[in-house]
Amino acid sequence: MMSGWHGTLLHIDLSSGASRREPISPDLLRAWLGGRGLGVRLLRDAFRLDPFDPDMPLVFAVGPLCGTPAPTAARMSVVSRSPLTGTIYDCSAGGRFAHRLKSAGIDALRIVGESPSPVVLRIAGEAVSVEPADALWGRPVSEAVRALETGGSVAAIGPAGERGVLFASILTGEGNAVGRGGLGAVMGRKRLKAIVVDGAKAASIADRPRFDKARQDILRLFKASPVIFGELGISEYGTPALVDLMRQRRMAPTENFRKTVFERSGNYSGPAIRKAFDARKDGCFGCPIQCKKSAKGVGPLPEYETVSHFGALNGIDDLHAIVKSNSACNELGMDTISAAATLAAWGEARGRFPLAEEVGPLLDDIAHRRGEGDLLAQGSRRACEAMGVPGLSMSVKSLELPAYDPRGAYGMALAYCTSNRGGCHLRAYPISHEILRKPVPTDRFSFSGKARIIKIAEDTNAVVDSLVACKFSFFGATLEEYAELLSAVTGVEYGPQSLKELGEAICLTERFYNCANGFSSKDDRLPARFFEEPGSSGEGIEIPPIDAARFEEELGKYYRIRGLRDDGTFADPRFLEGLP
Amino acid sequence: VRDQIAKYAAKLLADRSAAPGRVAFAAQDDAPIAAGEAGLARLAGDVLSRLSCLGMAVAQPSLPFADFLVQRAAAGEHAILPPDTETRTFLHDIPFLRRDELGGDAAPKIAALLGTRKGVVVEGVGIVAGGTVTIEQAYINYSSIFHATFVKYLLDVLAEGFRLPGEREAFDAFRRDWLKPLDAEGLAFREGPLEDPAEVLDEVATVGRYTVERGLVDSFFGNISWRLGDTVYISQTAASLDELRGCIDPVPSDNSSTTGITASSELLAHRKIYESGGVRAILHGHPKFAVVMSMLCDEKGCPVKDCWRDCDKVRLLGDTPIVAGEIGAGGLARRVPPAIAGPGKAIVYGHGVFTTGREGFAEAFRAMVAVENGCREEYFRRLRLYWEDSSQSRPEASS
Repeated sequence: MMSGWHGTLLHIDLSSGASRREPISPDLLRAWLGGRGLGVRLLRDAFRLDPFDPDMPLVFAVGPLCGTPAPTAARMSVVSRSPLTGTIYDCSAGGRFAHRLKSAGIDALRIVGESPSPVVLRIAGEAVSVEPADALWGRPVSEAVRALETGGSVAAIGPAGERGVLFASILTGEGNAVGRGGLGAVMGRKRLKAIVVDGAKAASIADRPRFDKARQDILRLFKASPVIFGELGISEYGTPALVDLMRQRRMAPTENFRKTVFERSGNYSGPAIRKAFDARKDGCFGCPIQCKKSAKGVGPLPEYETVSHFGALNGIDDLHAIVKSNSACNELGMDTISAAATLAAWGEARGRFPLAEEVGPLLDDIAHRRGEGDLLAQGSRRACEAMGVPGLSMSVKSLELPAYDPRGAYGMALAYCTSNRGGCHLRAYPISHEILRKPVPTDRFSFSGKARIIKIAEDTNAVVDSLVACKFSFFGATLEEYAELLSAVTGVEYGPQSLKELGEAICLTERFYNCANGFSSKDDRLPARFFEEPGSSGEGIEIPPIDAARFEEELGKYYRIRGLRDDGTFADPRFLEGLP
Repeated sequence: VRDQIAKYAAKLLADRSAAPGRVAFAAQDDAPIAAGEAGLARLAGDVLSRLSCLGMAVAQPSLPFADFLVQRAAAGEHAILPPDTETRTFLHDIPFLRRDELGGDAAPKIAALLGTRKGVVVEGVGIVAGGTVTIEQAYINYSSIFHATFVKYLLDVLAEGFRLPGEREAFDAFRRDWLKPLDAEGLAFREGPLEDPAEVLDEVATVGRYTVERGLVDSFFGNISWRLGDTVYISQTAASLDELRGCIDPVPSDNSSTTGITASSELLAHRKIYESGGVRAILHGHPKFAVVMSMLCDEKGCPVKDCWRDCDKVRLLGDTPIVAGEIGAGGLARRVPPAIAGPGKAIVYGHGVFTTGREGFAEAFRAMVAVENGCREEYFRRLRLYWEDSSQSRPEASS
């Protein structure tokens, strides 16, 4: 009997309403762990399908640590192909949903098909049912959650997902988003309004004393980390603790990345949010960090990327308006980064950024695809192309860039491009070393060594997303400690090196899928603005344009280190056959 | 990358942790690079090629303590378990390979161990340490292992005496040749109090460098701060104390800004010390003899097992208080401030020394020198007492 995994996949076909439990082989689980890795593997027969093809799976996968007291491990990855980017797509999300899914005896939930009418999927331990949800269709996320939460933990879409907004999210009942790449639209196309899950199966741990020691080691490292448990860290202020830092480092994207400093960002800094909303600590199930912040009468407060993009990126300094924008996105079921960045690109294109009071109605229009909102619902790349100004979309592979200007961190510049899901900060997360000095600092204005660093970090984070753990844990802990936890839970020996090798297989598999769908080095590109225009220099910090030749050189190194051809593709068309 | 290798190879020699001519580094960018002593460089490259890692340091330590620990280890043991804070927090344990386990090609065996830990002791070769992200990280891991094995060996010798042929002679040579008189002579400190931020930044950087140069801390560790009005100027986390320019965070006491999220993990301890009043400067180093002596406890039958964390007593070593507590939010910040308030100095169990200055850094620096010299003297006094005067009983082994 396996420990750490149930060895079970729940397959749902919404076209027929049928469901079945399938075994997952131990070899597959050991090799792909869970979460992102398992989800990516489960797409091997489907990755060429259109994201909206009824047969395209939408996979919810938990990891071997989920359900145990492993720190920050009550998470899941949702995997499919993104309608926004066209790439393979996964998103890690916390809350309670993952924990409940694991408690239902499931490692992965694979949903295919397309229901003829809106439905809710209910999983209560062994019992599975697909039920009509006509009354919930069109309703905001919170209403769906309230209507369903007595049955367990809920993951739901809002109007944006129902109407196919390309950056629609899936929201858990606790307000955690499966965001960025539009998997809410994939769920909406299947006419699946929500999933409710509950269960009572306990997770097993093969070696409890070893587990307890590893857990203590990790908690000790959390306490030693100023980013996590420092007085000014994310446990106290949430990720908006980064607002002041990004301002000070002069790399806060402002007015659609025309500038890199927004002088009034102090209005929505971590301390400002705490003071204005009497913010309280909140977070994912069993997480000791509690980095989410919430307020009475408001609910979840925005993360760093959200405040910065609804703030600086659109030239807005009104904290209450920014918080309302965040809440609106959560209710409508839309990604905050892409929504705000698409508005900013549109604002620059028409010569005026939206006013604070205009944002709410615009978000509503996007979610309901009304008027101008129908154009914006396609994301900045498609919207800017339609307006004849493609250069104003600040995106990579159609995914809008988050709130770290690449001119202020060259590893970040490279990582935006090499990311298999498009312009995302979390794949390699170089902000960790380039800005937050963890595990050790690197020179943010140098490309030296960055190709190798990015490759290693991508592999590492692929593992983190497959355990599934929170990346914030790695501001303190390392794979060394999490490998101990994993070995203790599963009884299978893992170490940092063997895990990074698994991570490499995950990253290369994703890239192979993308290449098979036409992606290559031509898509690993930053917008021209970053090579042509400087950021906002001052206070002794120069933010020049990125040296294009040096960037290209480092990107070429990345391909060589990955064993790819010069155009970023695979020499071996049978690459996947060598993997389990 | 070559510049980085040259820089950190020079640092290993400057801090006298590696034997001259016995240092090598390897790195992998898109192609492998290795530099240093030919045999070690080859080994570094061979090991690195088997790992997902950017840099690798291989060097023979300037002292034979790591090898002695391997030779003193019981048959069947495969790792050294130093009890100091750095090991507990970051290294966990230090695996080793005995000389007779190496075989013809040691690289695969070393790589296998480095696949799970940050560094390895290879008997007869030295310390092999990886750096996942940078060359500096390999240097840091080497330094941490050198520090941990130094501390562990001194503790073991005190508890068990010399057990190997040549061990006493090597130890005598260490005492005679490697240890240098420790003082603050020749160092220039600004007269305080410092009121100009530019002057503060310069003085903090200068004194940080002094602290490394005089061996009171390994480059990467320790922290330092100055209070100017309502702002604490403190070294950043993961900053090298001898390279602090541009790595000092001004942190307002009212938490009106979070730019100090990159400040030292001991920001809280520094703030609490300043809150007790009258102090303008704080210095925190990891002088080795103070770390060793902090872990010796004469108390019999104490129920506390995890002394480094749970001991709530304030013990005294001479007139210097010793308290327990883990790094950052782990308890150190609660126990050090009340202990340091009077004497201006305190040792943290298995970790290091905090000292304070009321007018400038001179007082703090000299206090740390005095604490370390006192610990050094006491260590050798006890060694003589335990092993040359057979009528004396030895202390409990530290936990």
